Amino acid sequence: MTSTAPEKDKSKTHKLSLKGSAKLVAEFFQYSIHTILFQRGVYPAEDFTAVKKYGLNMLVSSDDQVRAYIKKIMSQLDKWMVAGKVQKLVIVITDKDTGEHVERWQFDVQILSKPKSSKSSSSKSRSTATSAKDQENDSSKSAETTKTEAEIQSEIAALFRQITASVTFLPQLQGDCTFNVLVYADASSEVPVEWGDSDAKEIVGGERVQLRGFSTQSHKVDTLVSYRLVE
Amino acid sequence: MATASVSTPLKSHTGLFSSRTAGGRMPLTPSPSQRTTPVKVNSSPFTPEKADGAHRAASRSVYGGNLTAHLRASRANHRDSPKSNIARVVSTPRKVLELGVSNFTLTGTGVHSKPSSSSSSSSASSPNGNTKKTTAVKKKPTKTTISYKGDRFIPNRSASTAYSDGSVKLGMREGRSSRSRTASTEGSSVLASATDDAITALESLSISDRRRDESDNHDSNDDDEEASSYARPSPRSAAYRETLANACGVNLNTRILQFKPAPPESSKPVDLRQQYNRPLRPAGAANSAQFRRRIATAPERVLDAPGLIDDYYLNLLDWSSGNQVAIGLERSVYVWSADEGSVSCLLETSPDTYVSSVKWSGDGAYVGVGLGTGEVQIWDVAEGAKVRSMFGHDSRVGVMGWNKHILSTGARSGLVFNHDVRIAEHKVAELVSHTSEVCGLEWRSDGAQLATGGNDNLVSIWDARSLAVPKFTKTNHKAAVKALAWCPWNLNLLATGGGSYDRHIHFWNASTGARVNSIDTGSQVTSLRWSTHYREIVSTSGFPDNSLSIWSYPTLVRNVEIPAHESRVLHSCLSPDGQMLATAAADESLKFWKVFEKKPGHSQALSSASSSIKASSGQHMTIR
Repeated sequence: MTSTAPEKDKSKTHKLSLKGSAKLVAEFFQYSIHTILFQRGVYPAEDFTAVKKYGLNMLVSSDDQVRAYIKKIMSQLDKWMVAGKVQKLVIVITDKDTGEHVERWQFDVQILSKPKSSKSSSSKSRSTATSAKDQENDSSKSAETTKTEAEIQSEIAALFRQITASVTFLPQLQGDCTFNVLVYADASSEVPVEWGDSDAKEIVGGERVQLRGFSTQSHKVDTLVSYRLVE
Repeated sequence: MATASVSTPLKSHTGLFSSRTAGGRMPLTPSPSQRTTPVKVNSSPFTPEKADGAHRAASRSVYGGNLTAHLRASRANHRDSPKSNIARVVSTPRKVLELGVSNFTLTGTGVHSKPSSSSSSSSASSPNGNTKKTTAVKKKPTKTTISYKGDRFIPNRSASTAYSDGSVKLGMREGRSSRSRTASTEGSSVLASATDDAITALESLSISDRRRDESDNHDSNDDDEEASSYARPSPRSAAYRETLANACGVNLNTRILQFKPAPPESSKPVDLRQQYNRPLRPAGAANSAQFRRRIATAPERVLDAPGLIDDYYLNLLDWSSGNQVAIGLERSVYVWSADEGSVSCLLETSPDTYVSSVKWSGDGAYVGVGLGTGEVQIWDVAEGAKVRSMFGHDSRVGVMGWNKHILSTGARSGLVFNHDVRIAEHKVAELVSHTSEVCGLEWRSDGAQLATGGNDNLVSIWDARSLAVPKFTKTNHKAAVKALAWCPWNLNLLATGGGSYDRHIHFWNASTGARVNSIDTGSQVTSLRWSTHYREIVSTSGFPDNSLSIWSYPTLVRNVEIPAHESRVLHSCLSPDGQMLATAAADESLKFWKVFEKKPGHSQALSSASSSIKASSGQHMTIR
């Protein structure tokens, strides 16, 4: 987004950047699902191929079924992201035998109030709503409006490095595991048949570690992993 | 009481509305325009131009419709209809009103709204009867509620979403008589059905009312908003959910949605420990999930091998190109024909020694037998006769290897001799490198290179043309090297496996001497065999796993680990077609594994033959 654009074009460019930001966040989600599946060994390593992304070698599943599955998730998530309905994306890793949730990756999405628009009542109400939701996470750095593409990319890259590095402290997953994707969406969202209400699949008595986040002009994403402590 | 309310017919109607308003309900609220219309308008409800009047009439006609007082209502709306309503109804609505509205609200109504004094007074009087009336409501049946204000009232208060929506429409679209009429009629009909509901709801309402009244207090200005937001869900459940949600700190505006289809199954168990050390490589087609094959984890058959010496340094099992398996059991060598299932004792040594190695010649006609004395014998299997004996080693010959007419033998002394079996002076070369017992020896398939491994932890790679010194000597292993295997599709690739202290498989480029890969298997590596048609290698292990492992190459991923034997696997060999692996273990059993099956449904001579003679051969091999 060019900040030098005349005031008249502001609204137009801003709209685009909101949409583009939603796409960028959605794309980030896609890669994070793949990365977590690889790093946590939900699928065998040889199913994954490396692609260059965010200046890193991102591992993406080459298994047709897994790809199709994630693609289905992403197609809906894209729509919700663009509509601004997504509050959280959660990837839950579950033990296949016991059905116990062993690991939970949570991405909190915060829609930043429009930086340039006047503090209209509507935007105010929205921002108060979000700030009420995650006060803990709110670092109130919504002032960073002029972030370049490269800066965002490097923030994401740092986040992925941290996810990759987190396997060093996460406990070894025992046995066969499977995963589920949860989306915390606005109650007003349109919900296709493939999606249904669920509980939060929280990890009982789990350890929580806050990871990095990144932000664009319109979105702020925070990452939290919680995992079951090995006895 | 009843009479009192009856006496205030006309105004009671509007009064109800206004009290409604005060109660936070609203849309119908006598807006100034509405208020005025009844007075002014005498026109029929159907006349469009008088929008306000039409609307008013329309709403009344609903009541009238129920009573078949339609005509009257529409025409002389002001006067008649209220009366008719009252006559039948009044007492109930009153009660309803009183029930639904707290004292506070009522007084508020009086002040706030413009209704005539009579209406306010009547409502004012009603509070007195409040408590008494509760029971009365039940008795005064649904009918009354329906016909009159009840529908306006009760539903709003209680449960009917449809009704309140209807009323909202009425208030908003004052200009369109036809629209408002349909809306109101709908509303009333819905109401009628919902009345029962409403009454029961009323009983519980007092609870929520209190709360409601408080809020009404605060934002009486926002009546409209308030009303519409409240009207949507059933007030009872909405209020309940809201309080519950507030209490739990849950945001009602969020739904947790799960993508319901189950994720695809993982094609095989994943052990992250191997994954972490794995070099990053793109998955080739052969490795990707859809091409992965199933590996039978149960043995095809099991034979007894009594007397098999539990000695890591010996090599007592071999499978010929003619599909015969030779095994050395103490002082004897048995030959089991996989084609026929027959077993025969080829030879028995003198009592002072034992068989320390067996090896088939390339054509499968002869078998070389190494003895504990250092003697090497060559037997013609078809004839069952010894062809010749070759002497030279002064210690046991633990390993042998054929390269056409050359037989290489490795002995406990660390020496390796090459024998040309065709000539009298058989010893053609002496390979000096190892300082301890030689237990691994393997010719490359083209005969250009020879690999040897010994108890001195060395791997030596020899060039067949210059055997004075090894081409490479590798010291990476930390234990004796018995397992050696040349890759069938890459002649420069050699795999070597170390003993129990080492546990590694190393892969070497035999041209450059470079180590290209390594696997930590976690247990003693007793033998290695490359598959001839898969990009895989199988390793057998001793303590502690006693298993077979099949590894993909070059990804080095363990495709399967089969707990093969109860004690350490000592020897292994591949069938000539490359599909079957035979393993002999210290538990004195010989097992056959179809680990490299070519294609499902494709029957091979070997398996069909071997299964057909299962019974007989099994008995023969059981030499107990």
